[in-house]
Amino acid sequence: MSGLGKIENRITGKIAEEAAGLYLENLGYRVIMRNFSTRYGEIDLICADEKITVFVEVKAKKGLKFGTPEEMFTRYKYEKVKRMAVVYLKGQEVPCRIDMVAVEMGENQRVKSMRYYKNVVF
Amino acid sequence: MLIKVRSVANVGLESVGVTVEVDVAEAGFPGFTIVGLANKAVEEARERVKTAIHNSGMDFPPKKITVNLAPADLPKEGGAYDLPIAVGILAASGQISPQAPGLSGQLFYGELGLDGATRATKGVLLVGLFAKKSQVYVPIESANEAAVVEGIEVYPVRNLKELVDHLNGVKEITKLNSLPIDQLIEDVIPDFDLADVAGQEQAKRALTIAAAGGHNLVMWGPPGTGKTMLARAMPGILPQLSGAEALEVTRIYSVAGMLSAGESIIRRRPFRAPHHGISAAGMVGGGSNPLPGEVSLAHLGVLFLDEMAEFPRGVLESLRQPMEDGLVGIVRAAAHVTYPAGFSLVAAVNPCPCGYLGHPRRECKCTDLQIRKYRGRMSGPILDRIDLHVQVPAVEIEKLTADNTPSDPPLNLRGGRKGELLTSREIREKVIQARKIQDERFRKSGIYTNSQMKNKHVKQFCKLDPEVSRILRLAVEKFDLSARAYYRMIKVARTIADLEGSAEIATIHMAEALQYRQVG
Repeated sequence: MSGLGKIENRITGKIAEEAAGLYLENLGYRVIMRNFSTRYGEIDLICADEKITVFVEVKAKKGLKFGTPEEMFTRYKYEKVKRMAVVYLKGQEVPCRIDMVAVEMGENQRVKSMRYYKNVVF
Repeated sequence: MLIKVRSVANVGLESVGVTVEVDVAEAGFPGFTIVGLANKAVEEARERVKTAIHNSGMDFPPKKITVNLAPADLPKEGGAYDLPIAVGILAASGQISPQAPGLSGQLFYGELGLDGATRATKGVLLVGLFAKKSQVYVPIESANEAAVVEGIEVYPVRNLKELVDHLNGVKEITKLNSLPIDQLIEDVIPDFDLADVAGQEQAKRALTIAAAGGHNLVMWGPPGTGKTMLARAMPGILPQLSGAEALEVTRIYSVAGMLSAGESIIRRRPFRAPHHGISAAGMVGGGSNPLPGEVSLAHLGVLFLDEMAEFPRGVLESLRQPMEDGLVGIVRAAAHVTYPAGFSLVAAVNPCPCGYLGHPRRECKCTDLQIRKYRGRMSGPILDRIDLHVQVPAVEIEKLTADNTPSDPPLNLRGGRKGELLTSREIREKVIQARKIQDERFRKSGIYTNSQMKNKHVKQFCKLDPEVSRILRLAVEKFDLSARAYYRMIKVARTIADLEGSAEIATIHMAEALQYRQVG
């Protein structure tokens, strides 16, 4: 992949995360933090759904040639988000869950479709 | 939506119905889970089914898919669930009409390739036998196995697309015509004809008796005297398999996955000649879901052990129970399986390590200790279970060059033409006659041959007149024969009498039987 492609992908990701944040705010969630990251990994969005802390993974895909965004969210990735959530919570016992937003991108960095999955479990 | 598809699990030679429940949920994170004690090969059905559906031009639903293989406590293995799972997913996602006539009790069984084509799958015959009166959908390459079962409808599936079109009523798959077993059984053209073997009349006679009564036989003799050739001629003097026998043998081969693609049944009596490097599990069967071993693959045929003394002792000892019972039970943590093992054992042994003990011209170089150790590898209990012991001595040069026309062949090997040896085909006629008598005798007993008689059968069918009894008693006292050997003698005498077409066991029959007692 060329260097330009990489940058393009990062921009795609940013746009998708932005769109997902807006979508969740529309649902009545409060976005607490975007891109919580440490050296061990990253959580795209942390929101509050009333009393529940929601950790959201956003996956964006351009075209379905290599599979759906849902397929990109593997058990490994799920475990990683879960570990990061533990780091974020620093041992606090609060109700929380992990959600996922699958974003399909069309031409010119436009969001084509978005699917939201609540409480993903593997 | 929830769809139930029927399939089959084979545990040994038994089949158990399996219900493949496929749920394609409207809500939930997309994924594909298989539960129900599936092993690795079944787990991997996920990738095969997914890709096969894609490559067949249909959609794999991006939804939460859960597959359950019931009953939950029965371990499932192999690729045979690919087809029912694929059908379930396509039906649950509306790509096969849920009212399709194929989804109400019909059996689906078979492995899929990534391109959606079916692959030869083992155990299809058992699926057919399990199906009773319903319809079965099986891979085209293995479909002939099921076609021999009467009363079922077999649909050979070439690939997933064809099956879907069939179930949706777009284009029908032609069902297989049932194959009559009796017409499939082949006449055996033996590798060796007994008439080609020079000399060795006594061994040939023993082979004939072994073939006629299903007895076990061991041949003792120096290297190069024709022991292996004689054994290889054995299939040529055994009668053809009957339809029921062929089915019985084929079940075993189907489970072992040893039927070649497109083959429907085993057409010939098995002749198994395992190398002496074989393990005990290879001999009697094994594995966590036990597969049949050589003793079962030789069922109703010949198990030939060349150089019997070279087999590991443990392997030989493991033959004891199958030789006695005609079946073998294999117990593993996951399963307890019984396979039939009604074989005739034919063994060839050298008399000593160098092979020349008792040779008329060559000197044996073995010490007593060496010979004792060599013989010790075959334990008493094993040799005691062998009915016929025969010497295959070195052949004199006159016999080799005599153009197969010994001046005076023994009476019972003489052909119609004076001075000519019987061919395998002619000997087989005699064997078939003898077996006919046995069939008649054992019609209601559930056994086929004299060698399978239990003691109660011996008492029932082998009445000995006082003179014959006396000879036998003398022999038992003189050679200190075991109780088992006593009964075995009677069984051999019974076969000899059958070969002569005699209803009574006469003195000469018993006398001949006594000749084949253990030597050395």
